[in-house]
Amino acid sequence: MKCRRCKAPAVIDVRRHNAGFCRDCFLHHCREQVRKTIDDFDMLQSGDRVLVAVSGGKDSLALWDILRDLGHDVDGLYLGLGIDEYSDVSGVYARKYADKTGGKLVEIDLPTDVGFDIPNGSRVARRVPCSACGLSKRHLFNQGAVDGGYDVVATGHNLDDEAAVLFGNVLRWSTEYLGRQLPVLPAGNGFVRKVKPLVRLGERETAAYCVLSGIDYQVEECPMAAGNRHLGYKDALNAIEDQSPGSKHAFYFGFLEKASPLFTPEAAAEQEQLQQCARCGTPTTSEVCAFCRLVERASQQ
Amino acid sequence: MAGPMRVHALLERLEINRESVLVIRGDTLVTGDVQLGDEDEVEIRPVVSGGVA
Repeated sequence: MKCRRCKAPAVIDVRRHNAGFCRDCFLHHCREQVRKTIDDFDMLQSGDRVLVAVSGGKDSLALWDILRDLGHDVDGLYLGLGIDEYSDVSGVYARKYADKTGGKLVEIDLPTDVGFDIPNGSRVARRVPCSACGLSKRHLFNQGAVDGGYDVVATGHNLDDEAAVLFGNVLRWSTEYLGRQLPVLPAGNGFVRKVKPLVRLGERETAAYCVLSGIDYQVEECPMAAGNRHLGYKDALNAIEDQSPGSKHAFYFGFLEKASPLFTPEAAAEQEQLQQCARCGTPTTSEVCAFCRLVERASQQ
Repeated sequence: MAGPMRVHALLERLEINRESVLVIRGDTLVTGDVQLGDEDEVEIRPVVSGGVA
């Protein structure tokens, strides 16, 4: 197989583009996909200070690298989740990338700084680990951005992530979530802007980007995520993609173009009901926000 | 596994969906049409992650 751009031998095939790429042209392809996403969705403005949510995995490190290459003012925030060796190793990869590139990495350690870890905290609070983890990340990444004076939080959600979440939301017709499943969530009500610049890249591409760029990342899957529903949706979508390349892209971008506006009024109505959390001041629909309730219960471990 | 065999055929034999992995030989990736020989060693690296932050 030859590279689509330069006709040199290809090292990766991207079936939904019906194309192969050599190393250099593939890295160019990834950067251009991210640049197009940022431009199309008006994600970043000149002078924005960007905080990338860094896990030590392929997506967040690829995102950090590409945003730096594109010339954005970007730092990383690593959140230690206290998931035993998995978190220790993830932190090593995040720090290694920061050291190698001279990038600034802000760190928050959930057990030390907040008082609980995900395995025990989720058990005591009787929440699914991935739910407690996601809630903690959303809260602390926003808090980290506010405290550090950043304009934007950028996350490494890729096309596979977004298509799988959309699949789950459609299966249950979770209309309140469908109304908020956007690649850009504007700032307001105490939230900084949130952007997902990788939504045009599949996770096979972000992994390949890291391998071909020489970026070491945490390859192991989070032990808490094993067997979760999200992975089942990804398996189902990959089975469809294998038979019909481009299906995930068509599903997600078709939703954004044709269906998403139908669900935004419900999400907007929920936004209007937001008030400040009585404990931390974060916007919430109840008196005390979900994160403060999690902290209260989880800290009883 | 005995070669020669194309990467696609190897994944099919192992019942692995090609959308869910990268195949790495040495320090670089290989495409599905590459013929692998008896002496080749490859890493089949999963790319699917499960977090939903």
